[in-house]
Amino acid sequence: MSRLEAKKPPLFISEPLTKDTFSQSLSLLNGILKSCYGPAGRLKQLHNGVGGYVCTTSQSSAILSRLSVSHPVLRVLTASVQNHISRFSDCGLFTAILCCSLIESFKKLNIASCTVIKISKHLLSLCMDYLNSEACGCRVSVDFSSLETLLCLVRSVLRSKPACMLSKPEVDHLTVLILKAFMFTVPCHVETNAVLGKCVIVPVKGRRVVDSTVLPGLLIETPEIQLAKPLTVKRSCSNMIKMALFCVSMSGDLFNPEEGTITVHHGISLEKSELNRLLNVGKQLVNDEVGLVVCQKVIHPSLKQYLKENHIMAVDRAGLSLMEPLSQMTGSKPIASIHLLSPSCYGSLKDVRIESFASKHFVHLIPNDTVVCSLILCNRNETAWDELKRACETAEHVLQLTIKEPLALLGGGCTETHLASYIRHKSCSLPTSSFKDLDCSRSQYQLVADGFCCSLESVACSLNHDDGEILTDMVYGHCWFVPSGFPSVSNCSDLVSKCGCGINGNTENLNWRLLQGQFGSPIIQGGPKEPSGKVADFLTLDCFAAKCSGLQVALETANLILDLSYVIEDQN
Amino acid sequence: LPMAFRDANARRHTGLQQLSSLALAGRTLLGPMKSYKFIVDESTNQSTLICSAARLIESLDLTSAAGQLLNETIQAQNKEFRTGISTLLFLVGAWSNAVLECLQQNVPVSAIVSVMSEGLNSCCERVQCLQISIHDVNKELCSSSVRPNAFKSKTCQIGCDTLLNPQIFLYVQKDISAPEEVIPVDSHSHQEDDSNFNERLLSPFASFGSIASLVNLTGNKSTSTISGSGVTASSCNKQKLTHSRYFSTLGKSHFSSQQGSFQGCLSGPSADPCECYGLGHLAMALSRGNQTSVKLLQRIVAYQRGKAECSGSSPFNIAGIVTCCLLGLPESYSCVSPGFVTLVSPEQATVIKYFEDKALRILLVDGDLTEQYRHLGFNRPCNVKTILEHPSLPGDRADLWLSSMLDILISFEVNLVLVKGNVCENLMERCIANSILVIGSVTRDVLCAFGEVTSAQPVTYLTQLNASCVGSGAQVGLWKACDGRAMDLGELVPVRIKVRGIPLLTAVLTTTVASKMQLIEDQFWTLAYRLHHALHDEKVLLGGGAAELLCLSHIQMLAEQPLQPANKNAMKKFHNPWLAASATEYTSVVLQALASGWKQYLSVVMCNTAKTASELEACTSVDHHLKKAAECGSPSAYILKEFRRGDLLGGGSGPFADHGDGLKVYDNVTAKTEAWRRALDLVLLVLQTDAEIITGPKRNQLLNSHVSSEFMFL
Repeated sequence: MSRLEAKKPPLFISEPLTKDTFSQSLSLLNGILKSCYGPAGRLKQLHNGVGGYVCTTSQSSAILSRLSVSHPVLRVLTASVQNHISRFSDCGLFTAILCCSLIESFKKLNIASCTVIKISKHLLSLCMDYLNSEACGCRVSVDFSSLETLLCLVRSVLRSKPACMLSKPEVDHLTVLILKAFMFTVPCHVETNAVLGKCVIVPVKGRRVVDSTVLPGLLIETPEIQLAKPLTVKRSCSNMIKMALFCVSMSGDLFNPEEGTITVHHGISLEKSELNRLLNVGKQLVNDEVGLVVCQKVIHPSLKQYLKENHIMAVDRAGLSLMEPLSQMTGSKPIASIHLLSPSCYGSLKDVRIESFASKHFVHLIPNDTVVCSLILCNRNETAWDELKRACETAEHVLQLTIKEPLALLGGGCTETHLASYIRHKSCSLPTSSFKDLDCSRSQYQLVADGFCCSLESVACSLNHDDGEILTDMVYGHCWFVPSGFPSVSNCSDLVSKCGCGINGNTENLNWRLLQGQFGSPIIQGGPKEPSGKVADFLTLDCFAAKCSGLQVALETANLILDLSYVIEDQN
Repeated sequence: LPMAFRDANARRHTGLQQLSSLALAGRTLLGPMKSYKFIVDESTNQSTLICSAARLIESLDLTSAAGQLLNETIQAQNKEFRTGISTLLFLVGAWSNAVLECLQQNVPVSAIVSVMSEGLNSCCERVQCLQISIHDVNKELCSSSVRPNAFKSKTCQIGCDTLLNPQIFLYVQKDISAPEEVIPVDSHSHQEDDSNFNERLLSPFASFGSIASLVNLTGNKSTSTISGSGVTASSCNKQKLTHSRYFSTLGKSHFSSQQGSFQGCLSGPSADPCECYGLGHLAMALSRGNQTSVKLLQRIVAYQRGKAECSGSSPFNIAGIVTCCLLGLPESYSCVSPGFVTLVSPEQATVIKYFEDKALRILLVDGDLTEQYRHLGFNRPCNVKTILEHPSLPGDRADLWLSSMLDILISFEVNLVLVKGNVCENLMERCIANSILVIGSVTRDVLCAFGEVTSAQPVTYLTQLNASCVGSGAQVGLWKACDGRAMDLGELVPVRIKVRGIPLLTAVLTTTVASKMQLIEDQFWTLAYRLHHALHDEKVLLGGGAAELLCLSHIQMLAEQPLQPANKNAMKKFHNPWLAASATEYTSVVLQALASGWKQYLSVVMCNTAKTASELEACTSVDHHLKKAAECGSPSAYILKEFRRGDLLGGGSGPFADHGDGLKVYDNVTAKTEAWRRALDLVLLVLQTDAEIITGPKRNQLLNSHVSSEFMFL
C-alpha cells in the first residue's frame, strides 16, 4: 500500500533583495571572490572534509564549479558568471566581483529599480563606446609581428594565479612555451576560413616546471612492454606513414545488444568468431599497406600480435580527447565499424618516434604540416599542477581571442580606475536631452553613475590584500599601490614607483588621491589622459574581449537581479 | 548542496599549525642516526616498525586539508627521488613555525611569499659552488681510500653496527609490552577543534630524547596521536656511528673494501680495487652508514660496470635490479645474485631437480593465467546462453581448458612460464606434474629483461602462442647462500632463474627479524636511488651539513644588508608592483625566518646523532661556524676547507675528534634542492590560503555539529 502525501504549496518570497539572508550571502560570496583576486590573492582549499582531494585555487572557474550556492538569486549570478567563463576563460573574478558590487551599491540607492536599470544601461553603452574607440586611453593594440605584447598577455595570466607556485624564471619559461604552443596551432597556409589547431596538455606531475616542453604533433602514452626495441614502421611509396584511426573498440568483445539473449550451441565460441573478424580487418590493413593503427579503445592482444608480425605499429587506448586532434592532424577519418573499411579513411604521418618523460613513455606522432601540438606540463605537486593546467588553458584561450581582436586592456586595476574617471568626467558633461531620453533627473543619473564608478573602483581595490593603500592619480586615472606600514600623511610620490599595469612611472607629480570608493570623488577636467610613455616591456595586460564581455555580463546580470520581485520556490 | 566556509585565522594560521604539528612526528627521523618508531594501530593492535618519513606519513592521520597536501607533497618527492623525505618533512615544520612567527610580527603575506621564494632561489644558486662533478668525486674518493688501514676486514661488524642494535630492539620491545608506559591520548575529540588538535599533538612530544617514539594510530575517524616515551636508555643514543654521511671517522671505520673479503656470490674482477669498484666509493659516500646496502650496491656496480663496458651503456642501471626478501636468514647472508631470485612453493621446487643445468624454453605471459582472465578493456557478454546438446559430466569444461592449455605448453616444449598476474592453481598442479615450472606475480621489468635476452615475446593468452614467442636458454636452480647451502625457509624456497647475459641482478636481502624486512628493503632502494640520481645529475653536493651551513651564511649576509642599494635593485626586479612594494620593508625578518629552518635542521641532526647533548649546544656550535665563516671572508671557502678536514659541525669535540682525514660524505643535488623547494612551496601554499570550502555531505554534519559556529554557510 502506498501513501500519498499532499503537495506542499510553493513558497513565495516577495522582494527577495531586501531580505537579510540575501544581503549576508551576497556579501559573503563577494568577500570570498574579492579575497581571491589578483597576483597576491588568497587561496581557497576546496575539499570534502573527509580526506579527499584538496583543490587549492584562486580561480573563479574552479571555485564556482565546485561551490554549490543555495540562494536562488545568487544562483542566477554564479550561473551567468560561469557562462562567461565557459566562453572566455578569463576575467571571471572581475565579472563576479563587479556584479556583486553593482548589486550592493545600486541596492543602497533610493531610486526605482527601472530607472537604475535604464541609467546603468546608458553608462554601459558609454563604456563600450569608449573602449571601442580609437581615443580609448586604457587599451593597447597587439602587434602580432612582435612578441613583447603577447608575452605580457600570457605572463599576466600566469602571474595572477598564485596557487601555481611559479618562481620568476618558471613564469618566463612557461610564458614562452605557451606562446610557442599557440604559434604551432596557427596554420601556415591560410585559406578563406582559417581554423586554429589545438594544443593538447600532457600531464607529467612531480617534475619541475622548467622540465615542461612543447612538441609538435601528438603524444599517446603507452606502457613500456609494448615498445619493441627497434622501432620499425612501414612506409608507403612517398615515404609517408599510412595511418588508420579507429574509434570503435577492437578488444574483441561482442557488441552488446541491450535486451534479449543470444543462444549458441555448445562448441561455438562467439569470442573466437569475433576475433576472426578482427583478424580479417588486420589482413585488410596489411593489404592496404597501413603502417600505423591507432585505436581510441583497446585492441585485442592477438590482433596486436598479428599486426606486429606484419610490421604494423599498433597503439591503443588513445582516449576520446585525442580523437579530434588526431583526425585533424593526420587527415584520417575515425573508423566506427570494423565491418566497413574504406581506403579513403586513412590518413598520413611524417614520422613516429618514442619519447620518454620522467617514468612515462609516449608514442610521438609527427605530422607533415602541424597545427596540433602537445604541451608537456610539469609541476611539483598535484594541486599546483591542476591550477597550472587551468592557467595554461586560460592563457591559450586569451591568445585565441586576441588574434581575432588584436587589442588588450591595461591590467593591474588601471582599466577599472581609468574607466571610472572617464565615466565621472563624461556623466557631468552630458546634455540635458539625454536625461529626458532616460526619463530621469540629473541628480538621479549622478547617483547611479557614482555607484557604478565606485563598483569599478572596488574591483581595483580588491587587488590589495595586505592592508596597504590604493591610490589613483588625477592625470591618467591609473591605479597605484602603497605598501602597508607607512603613515598615510607621508608624501605619496615617495611611496609609489609604478602604476598597477606598469605603463606609468613616478616621474611627474600626478596628484594622487586615495581610492576608497567614496561618493563624490573629484573629477578630472577634460577626462583622463592617455599614458604618454611607450609600451614598456613588463606590462600587465588583460584580454580585451574577455574584459569587455565581463563588464557587460556583470552589469546585465546585476540589472536582472535588481529587477527580481518574487522568488517562487517549489517545496516538494 | 550549500557549502560550508571556514575562515582561517590570519594571525594564528590553522593550516600552518597543522603542518607544524604533523612534521613534529618526523623529527627523530632526521639525519644519519634515525630513531626507530613503532606504529601501533589501536583498533587492530598491530604494530609496524618504521624508520623513514615516507613510512611514517603512511601511518599518520592526514584527513585535514593541510595534511592531505603534505601527504601529496611527500608522495611526489618519494616517487621522484626516494630520498630527501625526512628533510622535506622537517623543513615543512620548521618553516611553518618560522612563518607563523612572521605573521605574529605583522609581516604581510605577500612579503613573506616573495622574499622567501626569492631567498630560496638565491640559496640554490649559491650552493652550486659546493657541487662536484661525479668524475672529480670518484677521483678524490678513490685516491684517499687506497690506504692500508682502510682494508681492515671486519664484516662481522656490519650486522650490529649499522642496523638496529639487538639491544635497542629489546628496549623497544619492552616499551610496547609495558602498557603503563604508553600514554594513550584521548581520541574522541574532533579534529575541527584546532587548538585542541594541536595541544594533543604537541604535548606528548615534550620528551624528544627518546630513541623510540610510539606512534599511536587511533581509530579511522579520529586524529592520530603521537606519544613519546622516554623509557629507552639514553646510552643507546651514544652508540658509535662507524660511518655516516655526517660525522665520519675513517680511523674507526670497519668498512671493508678489500677484494678478498667479499663473501657474496660474485667474485670481483681483479686489477686495482678502486678502478674496479668505480662507483663503489661514491655509493659509500652517499650512504648513511648503512653498510649492508653499500656492500650490495658495490657488487651490483662492479657487475654492471663489466656489462656496461661491453655495451657502452650507463654504468649503473637501476631498472636492472630487483630485490628478493628472505626472512629467517642472518643479515650477513645478504648478497647479490645475477638473474632473478624469487620464492616458490616446495611443490614447484620439486620440478627444479629435473632442470639441473639444462637450457630451458621460456614463455612470458603478460596477464593472468586463468580461464576467466580477459585482457583489460574486454567486456564480458552477459546475455549469451550456451546450449549443450549432449549432456556431459560437470567440471568437464574447466578440464577442457586445463588440458588444452597444457597441450599448448607441451607442444611448444615450454619448461618455464613467467606470469605477470595470477596463475590458476589447477593449472599449476598439472604443470608441476608435467615438469613445467610456472611462476606468477613477476613484475613487468623482469619480464622485459627475460624477453630481451631469450627473444621470448610476451603473450596475453596461451592460444596466441607460436614458435617465435618462446625463448630459450634459461637456467633454473635452487638459490644457494654464500656458504653453498641451499635454503629451505619453511614454506617457501628461493630459486634462481638466469640466462646468459641477462641484465638483471637480484639483491637478496636477509634478516631474521620479521619487522625489519620492509625497513631493510626501503634502505636498500633509498641508497640505490641516491646513486642513480647522483649519476643522472652527474654531480653531487657536499654533505654533512655543508650545503645548509652555506645557505645559512648566505642568508645572514643578505639579511644584514637589506637596504643597501644593490639589494634594493635586486628587489625591484619584481616587476609586479603588487608584490614588490612591501617586500623591502620586511626583508630582514623574513630572511631570518628562512634561515631558522636550516639552523634548526642542523641542530636537530647534531642532536639526533648525539653529537651534542642539547639543541642549544648544537645551535651554539652552528653559530660558531657561521662566525668563523663570516670572519674568513669567503664562507664557501671556509666550508670547503672544513669539509675537506672532515671537521664540519662535529668538529673538535667529542669522541670522534681523533681522526685526521675523514671519509667524505655527499648528497644528491636535485633531490636535496627539490626537497627544500617542495617544503617551502607547501608552506607558502598553505600560508596564502585564507579559507577552506567544504563541499559534499560533510557540510550537513558540520551544520549540526557543535563547531558549526566556526563556519559560514552559503
